[in-house]
Amino acid sequence: MKIKVCGLRDPENIKAVAALGPDYVGFICYGLSPRYVAELPGDVLKALPANIRKTAVFVNESAETINSLIDKYAFDVIQLHGDESAEFSNSFRNRVTVFKAFGLNDDFNFDQLTAYENKVDYFLFDTKTAAYGGSGKTFNWDMLNNYKLAVPFFLSGGVSLDNMDEIKKIDHPQFYGVDLNSRFETAPGVKDISKLKQAFDIIRNKILPMKYGVNEHGYYGDFGGAYIPEMLYPNVEELRQQYLSIINDAGFKAEFNDLLKNYVGRPSPLYHAKRYSEKYGASIFFKREDLNHTGSHKINNAIGQILLAKRLGKKRIIAETGAGQHGVATATVCALMGIECVVYMGEIDMARQAPNVSRMKMLGATVKPASSGSKTLKDATNEAMRDWIANPVDTHYIIGSVVGPYPYPDMVARFQSVISEETKKQLLEQTGKELPEYVMACVGGGSNAMGMFYHFLDDEQVKLIAVEAAGKGVDSGHSAATTFLGHEGVLHGSRTILMQTPDGQVVEPYSISAGLDYPGIGPQHAHLYKINRAQYTSITDDEALQAGLLCSQMEGIIPAIETAHALAQLEKMTFKSDDTVVICISGRGDKDLDTYIKYFNF
Amino acid sequence: MNRLNQLFTSKKDNLLSIYFTAGYPAINTTVDIAAALEKAGADFLEIGFPYSDPVADGPTIQHSSERALENGMTLNMLFEELTELRKRVTIPILLMGYFNPIVQYGIERFCKKAAELGVDGIIVPDLPMYEYEQMYSSYFIDNNLSNIFLVTPQTSEDRIRKIDELSNSFIYLLSSSSITGGSLQLTNSIEDYYKRIKAMELKNPTIIGFGISDNNTFKQACTYANGAIVGSKFVKLLEEENYMEKIPGFIKSIRP
Repeated sequence: MKIKVCGLRDPENIKAVAALGPDYVGFICYGLSPRYVAELPGDVLKALPANIRKTAVFVNESAETINSLIDKYAFDVIQLHGDESAEFSNSFRNRVTVFKAFGLNDDFNFDQLTAYENKVDYFLFDTKTAAYGGSGKTFNWDMLNNYKLAVPFFLSGGVSLDNMDEIKKIDHPQFYGVDLNSRFETAPGVKDISKLKQAFDIIRNKILPMKYGVNEHGYYGDFGGAYIPEMLYPNVEELRQQYLSIINDAGFKAEFNDLLKNYVGRPSPLYHAKRYSEKYGASIFFKREDLNHTGSHKINNAIGQILLAKRLGKKRIIAETGAGQHGVATATVCALMGIECVVYMGEIDMARQAPNVSRMKMLGATVKPASSGSKTLKDATNEAMRDWIANPVDTHYIIGSVVGPYPYPDMVARFQSVISEETKKQLLEQTGKELPEYVMACVGGGSNAMGMFYHFLDDEQVKLIAVEAAGKGVDSGHSAATTFLGHEGVLHGSRTILMQTPDGQVVEPYSISAGLDYPGIGPQHAHLYKINRAQYTSITDDEALQAGLLCSQMEGIIPAIETAHALAQLEKMTFKSDDTVVICISGRGDKDLDTYIKYFNF
Repeated sequence: MNRLNQLFTSKKDNLLSIYFTAGYPAINTTVDIAAALEKAGADFLEIGFPYSDPVADGPTIQHSSERALENGMTLNMLFEELTELRKRVTIPILLMGYFNPIVQYGIERFCKKAAELGVDGIIVPDLPMYEYEQMYSSYFIDNNLSNIFLVTPQTSEDRIRKIDELSNSFIYLLSSSSITGGSLQLTNSIEDYYKRIKAMELKNPTIIGFGISDNNTFKQACTYANGAIVGSKFVKLLEEENYMEKIPGFIKSIRP
């Protein structure tokens, strides 16, 4: 659910509102003399973070004025609040995102909106007044049931703290955001920050989940929840109660963003892969998570969770790891913070990934072998959970993927969502368009994919493609293609899709890439799969290794074998020449050199 | 009223329950072991069905589960073995295991089948209270099966009250926050926790488990609760030769 705060003027007030992190801020440019508009605090507008979209509100203004103001203040969005035609609205869409506002009363006929379909990006439904909005009154929200088009809309007009409960009841597939305006003011144009903060908390955390996000019980449709023994309940409940208020706190955000920038090296580049683009006949972009400190996206989550653990007063960190990437990321952030670190790793994986075991030890972590069951990632996860049961008070468990009991899938997705947040901004800067046609990523548990999809989930026109590891082939008996081979069930604390016997015993998966070698997927992926929001496909070991070689020799980037699965999927796609495709390069291939060398006989 | 309720009505102290894993050390031993335990004096039993990823269990029960799975034990096979149960065993029987095998079998079907074979209660450590209450409680209630909830030293009073409300035979108190098979020393904090629970005057009886391995720990537990459960220690006995003959002596060693 997006939040737009509209009607800002005062420089200090604008800064205070921006600190709350709205998705959109709106400036009324209607009825003002050009001279007045010139007095908008341009420096303050320029200094707003790029993820807050600056919106200019016009009523029946000339194209010339609109264009000159877009130029002057670098507006990202225009909101047309008068009688502007569909064609007129459409004429700005090569420059900015376009909102078309309509005033609704009981006689409103939604048929008139059909002409605007595909000509504007969003509708904004306001209360009809003699003037153009601004009454502070609501319209009859039951009317929204008559709206059937596919254009997402914002709800405006009289939204206040008093009607948050009614907003919660609006169940409309295109309900995309709320517009907070006059009911949150201390004086015209001056917003009441404490009221806004309350509304943000309610909208973001409790009442209005994103359409594809988690609900208050931890479910994504049929999947998720917290299927944990009572011994883990206090630990998980403590996290559930605190994670949102901690990670939404301004001090936390500042520290998280500072470390991402100055320690991890973010933003990671969005690279236009020209030779790939030529080969596959589309504009192909690589989101370079491989360039992060420690060599993969895993560090984003590890940084987030170590800061959270510190605020929870935890003195000891445990983690599980398969290939060792998450173990290394966790050992790294523990070294950074001076906190004790224990990493569980399957005995077999310790032998397969010996260099990462050494890295973790060098970083000061204790690596404990998981010698039960199949002695791989799922058993390492079991051992970490057992450790947490025995150490409920002082220990935080840093789960490395979007799996586990709620709130982990949501928490990890939020920490990884920086990937798509940056991508949107970078794509806009580089191409002038914010939304690609395709977004692709590999999926084991699914954390890089969820981070890559996160901010595109509500943009239904963006096709999301998740690539699983087929191993030696989905029918070979040696595979990790969970959506092909799995069934609904419960694994590691959440209801999801997992590979299992008819009797419900978890099956050991196989993939040449240890990072995709997991028998389940995160519950949000299971949901996206079931409702067809994302397409799940699979790539064999051979196809992945060939794609890794191709990428090395065409783009000079040696990808992790996990990532190579996503790249291999390109071979199976048919693009239109003006399609834009973003692939998450989740990790670098240094750790996989041995495997590549053996396979290709270098 | 099922056998568990009848037991707790007629006997209020020093109740002894034994846990063992079906399919361990071999298949087709479940009912034999259960009958021998009844004969030796156990008051009620928990029969575990194995799972590949038993996160709440220590090495002993993990090992028994792995072996049972290697022996081919499944829920279907267990139910087949249990067709003989009520011809040979009269004491209350609980099934204990993780949620995923039940989900695959079908939760309603599982409850019906268990009740049909004479099972009295179910313990599913990873079935949370919210999901039980919202989605599954009717299957248990309709089949006269008791669902047993766990309580740990960290469980809040509010939550214990809620568990008491949802329970209808007994509440399983964990001696400490741990996995199964740990050793137990009666420290002041454990004693405080036992006393705290006792002072709550719950409507359901309480049985203490985890770390109960000899007469000493059994007696201590029974000071504060209606009885205790022995699991890992008994499973270890099943590794020994001639374990059937040793069962009476084992029960005596716990409760002379």
